[in-house]
Amino acid sequence: MKTYILVANDPGVGGLVEQAATWGQPVVAVVVGSKDLTQVAACPGVDEVIWLGDPGNHGIEAFASSVAAIVADDPGVVLAGRRPSERVFLGTVAASIMAPIITGVQSVSFNNETVVIKHGIYGGIAVATTQFEGPIAMQIDGGAPVVGGGTAVIETRSATPTTITVTSLTPPEVASVDLDTASRVVGVGRGLKRSEDLGLVEALATRLNAEIGCSRPLSEGLDWLPRDRYIGVSGAHIAPDLYIMIGISGQLQHVSGCRASKVIVSINNDKDALVTQDSDYILTGDLYALVPALSAALEKS
Amino acid sequence: MRIVVAYQWACDPQEALVSSDGKIDFSRAKPTISDYDAVAIEMGCHLAEATGAELIGISAGGEAVATAIATKAALARGLHEVFVVSDPGLDSAGTLATAVTLKAAIDNLGDVGLLLTGDSSLDSGSKTLVAVLAGLLGWPCVTDVMKVTMDGDSLTIERTIPEGIQGLHLHGPVLVGVTSDAVKAKVPGMKDVLSAGKKPARVVSLLDLGVRLPGEGEILSVEKMAGPSRQQIRINTEDPAQAAAELVSALRAAGALDA
Repeated sequence: MKTYILVANDPGVGGLVEQAATWGQPVVAVVVGSKDLTQVAACPGVDEVIWLGDPGNHGIEAFASSVAAIVADDPGVVLAGRRPSERVFLGTVAASIMAPIITGVQSVSFNNETVVIKHGIYGGIAVATTQFEGPIAMQIDGGAPVVGGGTAVIETRSATPTTITVTSLTPPEVASVDLDTASRVVGVGRGLKRSEDLGLVEALATRLNAEIGCSRPLSEGLDWLPRDRYIGVSGAHIAPDLYIMIGISGQLQHVSGCRASKVIVSINNDKDALVTQDSDYILTGDLYALVPALSAALEKS
Repeated sequence: MRIVVAYQWACDPQEALVSSDGKIDFSRAKPTISDYDAVAIEMGCHLAEATGAELIGISAGGEAVATAIATKAALARGLHEVFVVSDPGLDSAGTLATAVTLKAAIDNLGDVGLLLTGDSSLDSGSKTLVAVLAGLLGWPCVTDVMKVTMDGDSLTIERTIPEGIQGLHLHGPVLVGVTSDAVKAKVPGMKDVLSAGKKPARVVSLLDLGVRLPGEGEILSVEKMAGPSRQQIRINTEDPAQAAAELVSALRAAGALDA
């Protein structure tokens, strides 16, 4: 079976290429985007690139059915990242080949036509090992941008985009939140006493060039932060280089949304908080002293 | 024309307990309309009012989704009627099987110009259902949508993308995944709850719709999620400034502050 990597106007598919290359099957990148993007997609580990053209003023999603038609010609294993348009490509492709769609993938092994996948279920509170036969669609963290330099042949195919026309683009008043792809995240929980104290967390996030996330009570219930900042089972699943948890106890339901973080720091006043098990660095104490101290130390360094 | 809202009636994994052998216990959890879908229903109410369209809720699930508690909870949020596919086989349905079922429900209803649903599903958080359903229907699909206005089959949509707010124009039928903060979902009042009991709730089975569920793999085992083992290094915090400096050096050495 071929492995398809769906590229939706963004070169951040290094994780998919890395994963696909380990399977020893032919790897085909299906690209919607600029010619430059197509060239970087032709990176080591990719055997063939199929370019569907530049989206122009079409919404990226307008190409979903064209992407699906290519995979449907010769169904296989389909990989895409977690960005919105990548999810639309993946879902549309899965529908066209009637493939189950799996998220939270931890490991994959092949045995002829059988695929065994370890993957999170219920938003990642448990992990199932499931055996599939035939084509399958998987959502995997896109990872770093690819940079080309491979030997893949680039083939151009014509696409018939559906009618989604981009009419305007308004830059965000405040920087938009993209927790899923942020390289650093500061998360805050019930340990914070008042919403006015969010300033402490914001100062640290600015210093770190990090996005702010939170545990569920802060966005649903207290309404201190918008819901798209909530990290956990039904919220964002982050995979930053650094995640700093402030005043978060570390319930399974929150931790399942941040497990993929490379380094986790926790600041909590309870030395036995659940979060310590899931931390690389543990600072036990008053967040109102430790967070400003950390901001100051970062400013100095 | 009909506006359809696909909603999920499920237990929140937030309430689940997972034992060390991987058994998932939902017994202390109560099923609800997902918060994400409640927002989609609210948006549907606004659009139905503005256009005079019929507003129909659809849902697929096990026996629980067809109970009066479930259908009334949905109707109390302002849907004109609900069309529910209930079948024991749907209890463990994944995204593909759910999408196949919902497609059959939409085909059965007919005359659908817009389908709204919450961007994320309550029990899996996978955010892929809307796209799979779009693929099956052959309709375009847009997610992360903040605002929709309709004029006949012509739709103007605003959605958030990393670069900002994107305005889109398209023609229905179309699937729209609504962001969780697009509108504020009202909590149904006593009057809403009472009137919900008088609205039509149609319940059908997979057999009624002629749906055969697709295979979604065979689960070999389930275990409690265990993350990568962490270093669990405790930094002395007697002096916050010193603790902070020590942490910054450690993070720098680990490459966590690069770029």
